[in-house]
Amino acid sequence: MTARWHFVLVPSLVLSLLLLLSSQIAFLRGSFFKDLRLGRLGTELTLENYLRFFTDSIYVDSLLLTIRISATVAVLTLLLGYPVAYILARMRSRWALLLLAAIIAASFITIVIKVLGLIIIFSSGGTLNRLLLSTGLLERPLTIMGRPGGVVVGLMHFTMGFAVLLLYSIVKTIPRSLEEAAEIHGAARWRVFLRVVLPLSLPGIVVTALIVFNLCMGAFTSAALIGGGKVFTLPVLIQQTVIMQTRYGMGATISAVLMAATLLINLLSVVLLARLDRRRTAVA
Amino acid sequence: MSGLGIPAALRRIASAAWVTGVFVFLFAPLVVVVGASFDGGERTFLNFPPRELSLRWYGRISPELFQALGLSVVLGITTAAVACCLGVPAALGLVRARFRGKALVAAAFRAPLQIPAVVIGVSFLKLYYVVGDLIGVYVVGTLPGLIIAHSFLATPYVIGSVSAVLQRFNTRLEEAALSLGASRWRTFRRVTLPVIMPGVYAGAMYAFLVSFGDVPVALFLGAGGMQPFAAKIFHLMEFDFDPTLLAISTFIILGSLVAIYLLQRAVGLEELSRSGGGG
Repeated sequence: MTARWHFVLVPSLVLSLLLLLSSQIAFLRGSFFKDLRLGRLGTELTLENYLRFFTDSIYVDSLLLTIRISATVAVLTLLLGYPVAYILARMRSRWALLLLAAIIAASFITIVIKVLGLIIIFSSGGTLNRLLLSTGLLERPLTIMGRPGGVVVGLMHFTMGFAVLLLYSIVKTIPRSLEEAAEIHGAARWRVFLRVVLPLSLPGIVVTALIVFNLCMGAFTSAALIGGGKVFTLPVLIQQTVIMQTRYGMGATISAVLMAATLLINLLSVVLLARLDRRRTAVA
Repeated sequence: MSGLGIPAALRRIASAAWVTGVFVFLFAPLVVVVGASFDGGERTFLNFPPRELSLRWYGRISPELFQALGLSVVLGITTAAVACCLGVPAALGLVRARFRGKALVAAAFRAPLQIPAVVIGVSFLKLYYVVGDLIGVYVVGTLPGLIIAHSFLATPYVIGSVSAVLQRFNTRLEEAALSLGASRWRTFRRVTLPVIMPGVYAGAMYAFLVSFGDVPVALFLGAGGMQPFAAKIFHLMEFDFDPTLLAISTFIILGSLVAIYLLQRAVGLEELSRSGGGG
């Protein structure tokens, strides 16, 4: 029976690899040729585009901004989302299932519509400003649209549901009996949480954080709409460079750097964590 | 019970407040879109809460938007079908077969999830030009062009949700069918397929959603009349906003809620939450 199963996957694998490699090579090879604009490329191999990326502050600033925004979103989403996941996972009533269903339902709704709602709430004439102005908490309208802070809020909205669902399934794998055992032995609730639950869910938390970070590094729709042409993260810059300026070579360079930087940050954090983990177990 | 520190009642209130806060954050944008769609005033701003109730924007939704919506539905269904044709055999192979380099093959199947969607959009645009120059058939701005790229994007989700079901599936059922004299194909049709169907439904739904919600890929590949709904909304939001967008978005929100209710009935909530995210 088992002998035959690998033939089943061959057609899909061939097709997927063909599309993956041909599209990536067709596009990314452009980064090694001189960009003559209007979609044309030079014929000689050169690293000029990469040199340009790392010497021109537009590109370097955009890279740093993208990393900063993504890291902020990862931290804030986890800080807000983890307690929700924990509470839902430990809830004994049917409410837990209902709330979980609500999160899934929200994740089914197209991102452009959610961004539209966020804009109505957070724009300068929007719901939140009207509320704050009428209560006198604010004197002048304040907006996060067109600012990095707004993009952070948009991306948090984009990743929150997904992060809570993932964290929920992680907390579910930690038996409640472990917590009860610790409590019976007289440990305070928060100590049980810090010493038992948190360490056990740490690997899952790190994975979730990295997934959220990666999603944000590549996020386009909410960054473009909320950034409103003023916040240039790398994905937004790629679209601008290719569509507005028809510079395919430079666009390919930005894409290559974006993917390499994301990969590098993932590898670094995994290595760093493994080292931390080893030190911790050595101490214990 | 709680030893030192915070009393149980206070802890309860704090957790309820925290959960409520996050849920308000998640749902407020949807409530606001639906609410503002009923505001009838002429305006420079969008109003929520609405100032004067009216359905006027519902009557003015342009046929162009409905056309884009129709295109997105056709595109989404085709994408889901293609992604299932590719993803189901891939999942079967990945879970069932034993061979060297399986982790590598699995990683190759997951690759579309690791590449930013904008990059997939430009790469396929470039690929379509290169192929077009070679064979004289250009698929940029056509439905097949969109279907190919969206299927590439969506297949990992089908693989993810079908694999999740397969991993819990007992192969004894199949062995029993085979030993009772059923052919391999019959065993697959009558035993394997019915068991993995919830995974296929969930995967197909995710594939549809990936296609339906995609903006960056469609931005590059869908020129002119071939602009799917989400990309159309994106353009309108960027350049000339118009309140009929709120009206049609309200339809989409209601439609999505009905869809998830039906899917939940067919598949079960557990399956749906487990298979989310793909791969």
